[in-house]
Amino acid sequence: MSRNSVSTKLDRRTVIKAAAAAGVAQFASPFVWSARAADTIKVGMIDPFTGVYAAVAQNELIGVKFAVEQINAKGGVLGRKIELLVEDSANDVGTGVQKAQKLIDRDGIQFLIGDVNSGIALAIAQVSNEKKVLHVVSGGHTDGITGKDCHWNVYRVCNTTKMEANSVAELLFNKYGKKWHFITPDYAFGHTLQEAAAADLQKYGGTMTGNELAPLGTNDWSAYLIKARAANPDVLLVLPQGLDMVNCLKQVAQFGIQKQIHVAGLQQELESLEAMPPEARIGTWMFEWYWKQPGVPGVEKFVADIRKRSGGKVPTARTWFGYTSMMTYALVANREKTLDSVKLAKALGNFELPADVKLQPNKCYYRKGDHQLMTSAFVGEAVEVPAGDPEDLFKVDTIVAGDKTSPPESETGCALQWPA
Amino acid sequence: MTQLILFNVTNGLIIGAFYVLMALGLSLILNLSNVINFAHGGFLVIGGYIAYTLEPYLGFWGALVASPFLTAIIGLAIERVMISRVYGRDPLYSLLLTFGLAFIFEDGTRFIWGANGKPFAIPAFLSQPLSNEFFFITGYRLFMVAMVAVMVSLLFLFLRYTRVGIRIRAGTLDLETVSALGVNVRALRSLNFAVGIFLAGLSGVLAGGQLGLEPTMGSGLLMPSFIAIIVGGVGSLPGTLVGGLLIGVASGITAAVFPSASEAIMYVLMAVVLLIRPRGLFGEEGMLT
Repeated sequence: MSRNSVSTKLDRRTVIKAAAAAGVAQFASPFVWSARAADTIKVGMIDPFTGVYAAVAQNELIGVKFAVEQINAKGGVLGRKIELLVEDSANDVGTGVQKAQKLIDRDGIQFLIGDVNSGIALAIAQVSNEKKVLHVVSGGHTDGITGKDCHWNVYRVCNTTKMEANSVAELLFNKYGKKWHFITPDYAFGHTLQEAAAADLQKYGGTMTGNELAPLGTNDWSAYLIKARAANPDVLLVLPQGLDMVNCLKQVAQFGIQKQIHVAGLQQELESLEAMPPEARIGTWMFEWYWKQPGVPGVEKFVADIRKRSGGKVPTARTWFGYTSMMTYALVANREKTLDSVKLAKALGNFELPADVKLQPNKCYYRKGDHQLMTSAFVGEAVEVPAGDPEDLFKVDTIVAGDKTSPPESETGCALQWPA
Repeated sequence: MTQLILFNVTNGLIIGAFYVLMALGLSLILNLSNVINFAHGGFLVIGGYIAYTLEPYLGFWGALVASPFLTAIIGLAIERVMISRVYGRDPLYSLLLTFGLAFIFEDGTRFIWGANGKPFAIPAFLSQPLSNEFFFITGYRLFMVAMVAVMVSLLFLFLRYTRVGIRIRAGTLDLETVSALGVNVRALRSLNFAVGIFLAGLSGVLAGGQLGLEPTMGSGLLMPSFIAIIVGGVGSLPGTLVGGLLIGVASGITAAVFPSASEAIMYVLMAVVLLIRPRGLFGEEGMLT
């Protein structure tokens, strides 16, 4: 058939074929990292490997893979090897839920890790709860996961937004001033982060000069920065994350705002600092984990091991989240000698991470009442031009223990309902 | 408040100028070849990343010149191999093809340069505000506006006074007659596509200095450019110019008074224009039918 004779209209068969292909693609096999074996324990991981969170998701995967490698080298879990099944949530709640259902129902996973996106993490936690599968949320920060939406089977490694705010707020107030202006990403995570910081500000007796709600994916920040500077605050808190944070800080630096107002924020990540030119690496922040911790056991070796697996790049907080999520499962299952989700979930209450996994000076444990990991906050300043290693872009001033930054269990709103 | 709004109008014009540059490339391709190029944002990203790769060797200025040409060459190759095959067919074909290409470009850049953003540096003297009061007018933003003005002028001169430019304009109105008069339409379309992608590549380099260079950055800039074309009127390059500036200003003013709607206002503007004047402000009736 010549090309010219092809009809320009879509015919029914083509549409049906395309629909069928799309359907098959949805149910195609997940990416299996380790070789399939007859008697393995399947672990599922869902993260947004495409879209705006792809960089942090990939770092979480590096951490999970490294943990699987270590676990399998030491004999696996209860003598069985771990088989890791990785799925892309594509930063979409519907896709994430579909992938979670598939991993649990079709692939028969015993343990689930994910997601970076808070909305997806909440949604797949609902699925894992219905199916009674133990689940560790590696990187979704919104408070509800270990707050009012908590589940008996769901634990979380990364901080809550409240913990992040509490780690920096007092320092900012005492050192830089009591008039704060916020630039907040206009979605669940941003709102809870801003509310947490504003509550701390109120507690200390400070005032808020304004809160600019910017849509996710904002490219031009000048309108918000014009308003923020006109309000003349002492501190400008930049709360967006990822590419939005990079864009915003680049423009803050180009406008020279940091020369008049102290620039700060709560959560900062190495992935973001690495994407900025030196002049934009400014401000006071908290890191959830940092790779340079002189004298802390195990950190140097962990950094060296990850460098070998990531083309020379150091681990970020995300790499550690992934690593810790996976190690948690192996440690508790081997200790309890069972794979039963309810028993393991119960055993994780007050479970303390050993030195070679926690990789930080303070005690690090899962709190029994809300299932939140009490992990440290690394508070300090972004570094414009690193003196030594080009990836040493943050100067840690203090490391605050998780149970100092976290509100008491009674205030989280979490009421765990255990299965009968 | 008046000062705040004036600031934001000026700022909106600066942003609008950037949308114009991208939308003009899109518009050129759409007008002559009826291709709705969803991969335009992808070409923009490629332009930015090529500049980032070349910068250590050629410096910012060298990268600014070389990258758009290299992007145009990549665009030309893709046009010859793939897009030219769907010319003359239902626009749905090219839409689906370029939609797929957009995904391939995004994952391709992620594969080659990594998922994490890259720091694209601009000369220090450009990244300073001009005065303390008008701190949001930086050297780089003025440079961007100047670049857009120069490129728009060159484009209009090219289309008005060169033989090829006149043929492109004639082809936009009636391609069959142009073909019947002996013009090599195949070459004309390829050249036109390359010029459009050149503008996308240049937009990418300019955007890289202002925004974070990241595989997904193109998608956020693509929609405003489409809206600029629809508001200005499909088929009209001056319309695209006005449309781009209009949505920039509308978005700038809205960000000052009701930030959450700063993106939605573009769509509202488009809806209003489509309701009152479906062909767009300067568009001609019957395009894209």
